[in-house]
Order: sequence, then structure tokens, then C-alpha cells
Amino acid sequence: MSRILKALAVGSAAALALTACSGSGDATGDATDTSSSSSTGGRADQLTIGAVVDIATWKAADAEWGNTATYHMAVYDTLLRTAADGTVEPGLAEEWSYNDDMTELTLELRDGVTFSDGTDLTAEVAAENVLRFRDGASSNTSNLSAVTDATAVDEDTLVLTLSQPDPALTTYLSQNSGLVAAASTFDAADAQTNPVGSGPYVLDADASTIGSSYTFTARDDYWDPEIQHYDTIVINYYADASALVNALRDNQVDIANTNSTTQIPDAEAAGYTINSLPINWKGLILADRAGSVNEALGDVKVRQAINYAIDREGLLQALESGYGEPTTQIFGTGTEAYLEELEDAYPYDPEKAKALLAEAGYPDGITVVMPQTAFVPASESELIAGVLAESGITVEYEQAGESFISDLLGGKWGMFAFGLNQEPMAWMTYQLALAPGSAWNVFHQPDETIESLAATMRLGGDDADAAAKEMNQYVVEQAMFAPFYRVLGVIVTNDATTVTMKDGQAVSNLWDIVPA
Amino acid sequence: MLKFVGKRLLAGIALVAALSVLTFFLLQTGSSDTARRIAGQSATEEAVAQVEARLGLDQPVMQQFLNWAGGALRGDFGVSWFNGQPVTDAVLSRISVTVSLAVGSVVLTALIGIVLGALAATRRGWLDRTVQFLGVLGQAIPGFLMALFLVIVFAIKLDWFPATGYTKPGDSVNEWLLSITLPVVALTIGSIGGVAQQVRGSMIDVLNRDFVRTLRSRGLPVRRIVFRHVLRNAAGPALSVLGLQFVILLGGAVIVEQLFSIPGLGPLALTSTSLGDIPIVMGIVIMTAIVVTIVNTLVDIAQAWLNPKVRLS
Repeated sequence: MSRILKALAVGSAAALALTACSGSGDATGDATDTSSSSSTGGRADQLTIGAVVDIATWKAADAEWGNTATYHMAVYDTLLRTAADGTVEPGLAEEWSYNDDMTELTLELRDGVTFSDGTDLTAEVAAENVLRFRDGASSNTSNLSAVTDATAVDEDTLVLTLSQPDPALTTYLSQNSGLVAAASTFDAADAQTNPVGSGPYVLDADASTIGSSYTFTARDDYWDPEIQHYDTIVINYYADASALVNALRDNQVDIANTNSTTQIPDAEAAGYTINSLPINWKGLILADRAGSVNEALGDVKVRQAINYAIDREGLLQALESGYGEPTTQIFGTGTEAYLEELEDAYPYDPEKAKALLAEAGYPDGITVVMPQTAFVPASESELIAGVLAESGITVEYEQAGESFISDLLGGKWGMFAFGLNQEPMAWMTYQLALAPGSAWNVFHQPDETIESLAATMRLGGDDADAAAKEMNQYVVEQAMFAPFYRVLGVIVTNDATTVTMKDGQAVSNLWDIVPA
Repeated sequence: MLKFVGKRLLAGIALVAALSVLTFFLLQTGSSDTARRIAGQSATEEAVAQVEARLGLDQPVMQQFLNWAGGALRGDFGVSWFNGQPVTDAVLSRISVTVSLAVGSVVLTALIGIVLGALAATRRGWLDRTVQFLGVLGQAIPGFLMALFLVIVFAIKLDWFPATGYTKPGDSVNEWLLSITLPVVALTIGSIGGVAQQVRGSMIDVLNRDFVRTLRSRGLPVRRIVFRHVLRNAAGPALSVLGLQFVILLGGAVIVEQLFSIPGLGPLALTSTSLGDIPIVMGIVIMTAIVVTIVNTLVDIAQAWLNPKVRLS
């Protein structure tokens, strides 16, 4: 019996009908089952995506990426694209090339691209987008920190001038840094809620509810119809983990990111296919490497002792039900810096940890203050503290307040539990966590060895690969971090849907989600 | 009657004004890092200062309140600090969803609560004891547990209703009914007991009065006595409880909406409060206060209609 027929049988229908006071063309999250049946013309009718992060703003200049990339990929194009394996491919730019010293990137934009407001893509509009992103409010503005200028040489040619070479720039231009919005949005009052891009879909505002559900319809005049696999895409945001699990159990979504690996059994039981890839590493950031907040952390032997004190297998079992990969390096497996021997550079050894502490002048152990935040459950914090305590490392938790992120990045705590992205390129990891100006080199501590290696990596080539490996080795030896394990990013798909996971990204490319 | 309604409306306006002052200044105590969150984690201090200046956060709190109140009096509640959506659009698009859940739940509560209360008062014995027991049980079970139970049984096992989501009635009335049935039932179960107990107590009280004995002695059918006289006299207290239940259900809808992923005020309130999105939170509080004031006034009018003595007070 269909649900429509059942509706007629609902005993309370008459009473509830009296309350139909929400008919003002407002909110809608699709409450029906998904429908991915193929329509004529090779496309499926609809793809319903379950999202665990809502989009904060549609303004391209302030755009975030990570989990919200799917939203942006629906309505915007990027200057370049990256394939699932990380290879940079043409996007709005058909061709691109560097000058000899890699301080000028020239991009040739394709003809005939229009925005959903009917205006044409020009190099001038693209240049303005690049500069606005660099100067915007995204947390990734530093991706374009090397860009000193962006100019339109002619209608189709865009030139980015760099203060110094940036080997990750083309990858950044395939992410939020390369989003291109129509000129009409630049100073529009509704730019945050009304995206105007040249992407494969347009947001149907009438069928969407901000903060809950977003409906996109395929553009008829899109320049690359090959990547439009669906007529309609619906992204339902699930703020509550239980709601997402219930939606999976009821087969209400075709594809979804899960909040955590603990949802895998529920998704499997509901008949979903589990697709996973390591996307983050989780562990301790030993930020105070100069010992300015906690003197002990300034000693490499203490930092190594912390690494030996961690029972990585035990934590993986306890915190992630075994889903993940224990590791002691922050560089991802797909990067040129990866070294297999660094997966277990600090095997769990409390006695060795105590010995190193004694050598460093702390025979009675050390005490460190770490923040207790909503990001890490109290039980998890206690577990971490318990593991470290076995090696004489006492953790005192301090309740972090409203200004947690500011305090954290401002250097209030010498070490803290966190998770950072496993970037697809070694250079990106350097930019994220090691460069003196990077946010997660919290104390912005320069390191001559790292900067010397970074200078080689900056220019690319075989030398750069060797330098990346050397940098990885050095970071592990210096115990700048104490990773526990790589966390699996999990995307579940139903029988009607297949996905190709993307290296270093929480969500796949939208065009890599296809009807089965 | 007009004077009576006018008094109630004036009291309502005073309540909304007091609530707006209280809420605004309470919110100031927990939103120390808003500009940083808007500007981005890696924003410079200069960029953060620009955001503060743009939002007026660099002004004294009293001035900020006067700015907000001036706009609100002109019907301009501003825009969300985080996504730029006009507050009026954000709240109005969602309040109808939440109110429909609360009204649906109150109607269902009234129907079931009055029937059970009346049966318990007139039949007494085992039926009375059962109604009382079930009433207490219903109130004792937390709403979110009831919601999860309903989802597992009626959405996942039996597949009668969708587990999550919301369809607007303009798209399909049937789908809309299906999407709100489980949330409404989850909200209703806890409130039936209170209404049933109130109706039962009031009816027993009225049934023992002299005029009911007189009506009985004149040979009027019991059914006519109950429907024409007892229920009308017992309806006053029950109406007060239902009015109160409506307010409680508006609050309860926050959790239920979150669990059912329904785009009502609940998820918006939770997100906005945690972010420190003061314009949105203020909009929610003001709009909700207006709805509550209207409902209370309607309840008062109904009370006055049922009992002229109320008008005099």
C-alpha cells in the first residue's frame, strides 16, 4: 500500500487537516523516498544527498570547502577541476601554463560559458573573483596568499601574478579559491543566499529552505552536459546524527556522508554500500615547540615521549570501532612525502616514554593543560588522559569557552587534541600545518630545516619529492605532532547510486556521483 | 468584551517588549566571539574589527539594543549575521511549520484528553484508574525517546510514514499529513495525560454540584446532562491547560523537529543560538512571543465566552 493511500487511512487526518497553517510556499525537506529512476536522455530523475554540514554562505568570495563542496559544485564552476585521484583537469580554463620562474600563471578561459543570470563569463569577471576570494572571509584565503594580482589580458585570458611559486595553486583553483560567480553577485545584498554561477545546476529557492533542504535543477544550456547525471539534485541537511541514521534506515537518501564511523553498521544494515577513504588524521597537536606556554614541550624528548605514550591501536578500537589506520605521520598516503616506515615510528611503549621524560629532566613526569571542548566528547578526553597518564603525563583539562577557536589559534594551549585534513599534496600539508604563517602552526614558529626543504618543494620536480619525504621524516623525528590514526571519511550509497571517492576531500566531486 | 480583549492585547505588547529587552541583554553574555566566527578562523584582527564595525558590535550594548529596537518597531528585524537571510523570511518560513505541529498536537490532545477525561469522570472504576495510569506513564516518557520509538516502529519497521523530512501542504496534502503525523503524535502523547486529568477532575467537581443533581432528578438523559451542562462548566480549566500545553509544545517541538529533520523553528533556534546569531534569535523570540500572546488571548476570550464572570475580572 502506498504511503498516499495510507495517508487516507490515518485516523487523525481530519483533526490534523484543521491545522494546515503552513501553506505559504515555504519550507520543504523532501519527506518521500528517493527516486533515482532513469529518465529519458540518459539522466536519472533525482539524486537525494544526505549532508552532515550545512552551507553557511553562497557568496563565492567567502566560500568554505570540505563538506560543503557539494553545494558549491552544484551551482558554480571552478577555474580548474581535480579528478578523484587529484589530477588537475580543465575547468572554466581550457589551458593553463606557468612562466619559467613559476611566478605567472596564465589561464585560457573557454568560450560560450554563461552564468545562470544570462551574462557571459569573461576573464575580467574571473580575475575579480580571484581577488575577492583572496581578500574575503573564507578560512582558506591563505590558499591565494601568493597571488599578488589577477588581471584580464583579453576577453578570455586571465593572468595570476605570484609573489613566489606555489605548487598547489592549480589544485586550490579547483576548490573554493577557484569558484567563479557572476558579477551581479559581487555587491548584491542577497549574495549569501542567492548564488549565481555558471555551474551545472541552479538553486530552486522556492523549493528550498535555508538550513534544511536545497533543491537544484539542471541547466539546459550548461557547457558540459556530460557531468549532469541528474535532472534534479536535493541536498537534505541533517543537523542531528539520529535523524541521518533514521533517514538511512528508511532509505530516504541515495548517498550520504556519515557523521562518524559508528553509523557504518546502521547503514550496512539498511542495505547501503560503504565507501571509505582516509581523509583526516586525528591526534595531538604539540603546538608549543618553543616551550613558551609549557616549557617541557619545548624539549624534543618530551614530545617524543608523548608519542611513545600513545596506544594507537587501543584508541582506534575504542574511539572508532577499529575503522581507521594507526599512523605517526601527518602526510597522507597519496602524497609524495609519504613513507611507509613512518606509520609506526613511535610504537606504544610507556617505559620508553618515562625514560625519555627522565632524560629530559622530568623523572616525575609532566603536567599539561589541554582544552575540553564540544568538538571532543568528555569520554574521549578522559580516555586520552588515561592513556597518557600511564607514562607519567598528567593532563589537566580546562573548559574552553565561546572563544575556543580564537584562544586555540592564539596560542592559549601548548598541546591539544584535534584532527586535521590529510591533504592530497605534501605542499598543502606544509601550508596547512607547518609554514610559519599557517593557522595550525599555532605559535607560528619558524624552522630553518622545514623552510629550506619547503623552498625546494616550491619549485616542483623530483627534488621536490625528495624534499617532501625529508620534511616528513624531520617532522616525525621532531615529534611536532602526535597523530593517533587516520580517520575514514565514509560515504554510503544505495543500489541506484555509485560514487568515486576523492583523495583528500570529505565529499566526492558532484560529477563523480552517478546512477548505477 | 472589546475592553477585555484590548486589555489582554496591551498586556501582550508589554510582555513582548519586556521579553525583547531581557533576551537581547542575556544574549550579550554568551556571544563574545561572533565577529571572529563570521570573519573566519584565519582572519586578521583588522578583518575582525571590520566585521564588528559593520554589525555595530563595536558600539555600546545599549546603543546596539536601541538600533535593533528602532528597526524592529519599523518591522525591520535585520538579516542573519551568518548567512544574510532576512530575519522575517527565516522566521516566518519556519514558524508556520512549528505552529502547525503545535496546533495539530493541541487539537489531538484536546480530542483524546477530553474523551478520556470525560470517560474517567463518568464511568470511574477500572477505566478511571487506567486513564490515570496511562496519563502518568505518557508524561513520564521523554519526548525524544517516544519520537525514536515511533520512527523505528511506524517508519522503519512498518514503513507507514517517512522517518524524517517535511512536505509542505501546498505540494501534497497527503504527503504533508504523513510527514507531520509522527512528530505530532510524539508531541501529543506526553500532554494527553495532563488534559485528561484536568477534565476528569473538573467534571467530577461539576457532577457533584446541586444543579446536576436537580437535572438528574428531573429525568434528563445522562448524555444530555454531560454534553450540555457538565462539559461546558468543566471546559474552563481544561482550556487553560490546553493553552499552557500549546506553549509547552512549542518548546517541545525544538527537539522533535531536530530528530525528524523538520525545517521548523527548532533547528533554526538551536543553530542561531550556538552561533550567536542575535538578529535571528531575537526574531524567533519575538515572533514566538506574539504567537503565544495571541493564543493566550484567544483562550481568555473563549473562557470569557464560556464564563461571563471572567469578563468582569
